[in-house]
Amino acid sequence: MGRKILFITTDQMRYDAIGANGGRVARTPVIDSLAANGISYDRAQPTNVVCMPSRATMVTGQNVGTHGVWMNGVPLPEQSASVARVLGEAGYRTALIGKSHFEPLLDPFLRFGENQHAMRGETTGSHGFEYMELATHGAVGFNHYAQWMQKNHPESLGGFFQVLDRELEVSGVPGGDTGAPQIKVNPIDPEWYHTDWVARQTMSWLDSIGTNDDWFCWMSFPDPHHPWDPPASEMHRVNWRELDLPENYVTDRAQREAIIDAKPRHWRKWYDGEMVSNYEAPAKWVPATLTADQIREVNAYAHVENELIDEAIGRVLAHIDAKGWGDDLDIVFTTDHGEFQGDFGFLFKGPYHVDALARLPLIWRPAPSAVQQDPERVSKPVGLLDLAPTFCAIAGLTPPSWMEGKPLPITDADAEARGFERSLIEWDSCQPDGTDVHCRTILRDNLVCTMYRPGTMHDGTEGELYDLVADPLQRVNLWDDPSRQSIKADLLADLFDNLVESTMELRPQAPV
Amino acid sequence: MATSRSQVRIHRHPDDVWQVLRDPMRIVEWFPGITGVSMEGDVRTIVMASGLPVNEDIITIDHRLRRFQYKITGPLPVSFHLATMDVIDIGTPESPESLLTYSTEIVPDPMSFVLDGATSTAIANLATILNDHAEERS
Repeated sequence: MGRKILFITTDQMRYDAIGANGGRVARTPVIDSLAANGISYDRAQPTNVVCMPSRATMVTGQNVGTHGVWMNGVPLPEQSASVARVLGEAGYRTALIGKSHFEPLLDPFLRFGENQHAMRGETTGSHGFEYMELATHGAVGFNHYAQWMQKNHPESLGGFFQVLDRELEVSGVPGGDTGAPQIKVNPIDPEWYHTDWVARQTMSWLDSIGTNDDWFCWMSFPDPHHPWDPPASEMHRVNWRELDLPENYVTDRAQREAIIDAKPRHWRKWYDGEMVSNYEAPAKWVPATLTADQIREVNAYAHVENELIDEAIGRVLAHIDAKGWGDDLDIVFTTDHGEFQGDFGFLFKGPYHVDALARLPLIWRPAPSAVQQDPERVSKPVGLLDLAPTFCAIAGLTPPSWMEGKPLPITDADAEARGFERSLIEWDSCQPDGTDVHCRTILRDNLVCTMYRPGTMHDGTEGELYDLVADPLQRVNLWDDPSRQSIKADLLADLFDNLVESTMELRPQAPV
Repeated sequence: MATSRSQVRIHRHPDDVWQVLRDPMRIVEWFPGITGVSMEGDVRTIVMASGLPVNEDIITIDHRLRRFQYKITGPLPVSFHLATMDVIDIGTPESPESLLTYSTEIVPDPMSFVLDGATSTAIANLATILNDHAEERS
């Protein structure tokens, strides 16, 4: 028997959401215990800060320019490279339970295989997985969770936030006590909520395989991605009125806007409601109207969702222990991208490669039977690009040459020895109204440098440069600082030396 | 309003392409994701694979221009829609060839991505069908 692999992802979770990374609100003892017995990565980054490109990187081990999923709404072809297929061919049983988002969700023509399978009630896997049961935010769309809800608890469907408005735009309808966008008190029974469903279906799949099987299971929670609509019965856990504001929310409006104005122009354009760069941010919501109390309330909802995820993980791990697999179990916990949650006065996400969106929680708890792991923190840049090769290494396989990352380092010394120097992020977006944004980012030597290519928002000269040591909150843009031009040029040269450029036509197949 | 356009070259005489496009009922033969179609007067109702019916008014069937136009009237939340398919002769007597364009103007904007993705796939599929058929005949 080999090592089993439980790959746990959340969706749109900040680095500081969990206790192990300094989070002070949500109680996450289970995730924290993984960190206490494993390796925490303090500079883990995605290749893109929205779901589909990032998830495509997780499963392929490839950069955006290679796998081709450059934005939400762009499908990952079924026959794409897949670590699940590699593991399956090596004898692993493989499953993905929860949110895959390898293919567009908004699919009235039912053109995409995962939606077709779910609509037919089939658990046939795709993209190399032998088994899939899919969920997303809420209980609508072509996924197994929505079907289960419609069949078993139709009276609770209306409790979720209705994500799209009558014009098919992402809704900014106010909710909660403060009128914040995308929050709703959801009277659903917690056992019917998708977090519990994902955990339950994961345990059910594990019960279906043989005791001696090796397995790779991706347990993929849709939360804490907006809309924020956790079970109302759990809202007592966090009182929004008692929450501190995020460290990177600047209370003074003039000071906040001065910081935004020192960044490339799309920051201010979005803040003032003059531009939306990607579909998932509510089209009619104006960030400048966001109040301190709305930030507190949104954060309270997110913290509640994170506590529920932690407890669900705890139940799954106890189940695995009871089945006798605990000692042989590798656990990797991460998310696909971050969330502003009030930083700089914003919510949601977009072409903003700052820590709120780009610094991810990532923890690897190696199998106790294989490695006696002291708690370790790695500060060198790693990324979701490195997950697929890590899964191969855990399974005793040499990562295929088409994987573009490397097995995760276990210490900073290991990272240094194996060349973990930089991490890259890409962004391309084209809105139906013609608005387009294109940027590329490099993180190296505690510097974050983003260059913007010409588009409707930028002329090709704008950028961002932050010194993470002197300015960890990324408030001071050094792009035009004369004293930084040499290092900026070096970073940009390094960026383009390592960037995989795509030649794909930028044409989405769906909004999301 | 969002606009989009897909186009494909088809190695067939434009009359052959138009023969398929001009018939509103034949859309199920070449448009993936459409599983049913019916006509009542100038109103066409298609059924998407998801089960959703869509009502469309057929606006133009112009044999001279080889132009087909329709608009979605419901129940999709569309406040304006106009789709135009044109078959343009780009071949020679020795080497017949057509350019098929499929343009869409639509409000609300997000629907444009849904329809553009589907229509670009559909006309590529039609090209494959017609080109394969041409090879079978040659």
